[in-house]
Amino acid sequence: MIAQVWKTQQLTIKTVEHLSMVFMALLFIIIIGVTIGVFLYNKKNLSDIVLNILNVIETIPELVLLVILMPFFGIGFKPTLVASILYSILPVARNTYVGLTQVDRQYLESARAMGLSEREILWNIRIPLALPMIAAGIRIAIVFTMGVVTLGGLIAAGGLGGPIQTGIHLYDKDIILVTGLWIGILAVLVDSIGSWVERYLNRRYGYD
Amino acid sequence: MINYNIILNAVGQHLFLAYSALIISIIIAIPLAVLSLYNRYLASILLLFANLIQAIPSFAVVAIVVPLLGIGFKPAIFAIILRIILPLFKNTFTGLRDVEFIYLDSARGIGLNQWEILRYIRFPHAFPAIFAGIKFSAVIANSVAILTSLIGAGGLGELIFEGLTNFNIPKVLTGAIPAIIIAILLDVSFSLIEKRITLKY
Repeated sequence: MIAQVWKTQQLTIKTVEHLSMVFMALLFIIIIGVTIGVFLYNKKNLSDIVLNILNVIETIPELVLLVILMPFFGIGFKPTLVASILYSILPVARNTYVGLTQVDRQYLESARAMGLSEREILWNIRIPLALPMIAAGIRIAIVFTMGVVTLGGLIAAGGLGGPIQTGIHLYDKDIILVTGLWIGILAVLVDSIGSWVERYLNRRYGYD
Repeated sequence: MINYNIILNAVGQHLFLAYSALIISIIIAIPLAVLSLYNRYLASILLLFANLIQAIPSFAVVAIVVPLLGIGFKPAIFAIILRIILPLFKNTFTGLRDVEFIYLDSARGIGLNQWEILRYIRFPHAFPAIFAGIKFSAVIANSVAILTSLIGAGGLGELIFEGLTNFNIPKVLTGAIPAIIIAILLDVSFSLIEKRITLKY
């Protein structure tokens, strides 16, 4: 049953497609999210407004965000990419901002005493110490992106959402079960890689 | 052009679906969290599951329910519960567990029994955490309730999917815009209540 579904639904190709979409979305999310976080750190009075707006976007159901983008971006990969980015920027931007602002006073004081400029403090002290927080944000972003990309299958973006939709339409329990469980396993695997990276950064740069 | 009755109907179905799932989940999750407080095995198993299931996309959860329970309203409720019950459990449990030792110790010192400690010490302290879990779950329930239209649960998602099949964007929007309004109202109202609770406790 598994082998048959795997072959007819071309799950190997779909998995590669799926993961490459997630990976591409993550690249954008990390670049944009960290940039927003650093920007908010420089302009602290804007942080409340920007984070609140991102927070509102995050409450919108994933599917609704996806279809709302269709008039602007058509169907397929593009709206899926944009929806993943909009949805996952918040955890990365917020964690970057919080990580940068909540550096312990003692580190900052010794850095200033050694004569480091504010820019050097940002690059050599704040960012390394914020890395575990940023990684935690990225890990949340990975989970969100997996979810949105899976839904992208509904608007013809490819990936593993497609076979599920086929399965539901045909009411083919085998397809649904195999693909659904495979997505679940894949998500857990990807998340555990994320948690491993997070733990490594915590050991390397964490406070305790 | 726009048929308000259809939209109102769909909004009603959507809210009923999301909230009945939320209420059932709360009713199950809170006793489960209290039980886990006194049973370490149950606690560690449930926490492990909570962390694993968190990573699985909602669409996959909704899909997996179909071979198990078929399609319609009940499987949809089940899918939403499956999605939100563990975060609810996790927040309630950690809130109840992480009460500072000093409070528990003084409660025992003045002779409160287990039940009274739970009622007067642990629950009031855990309230902000429990409420944060409920807020989070309400947002997810709202989101999954749209998706479950795919398995025949009706509601706003149905308008969206009907619009999608023949690429009728206005119809998609009649489902999508009320969903966005509900989501924002949900977030605003829950944030207000949350602020009052955190101030109080």
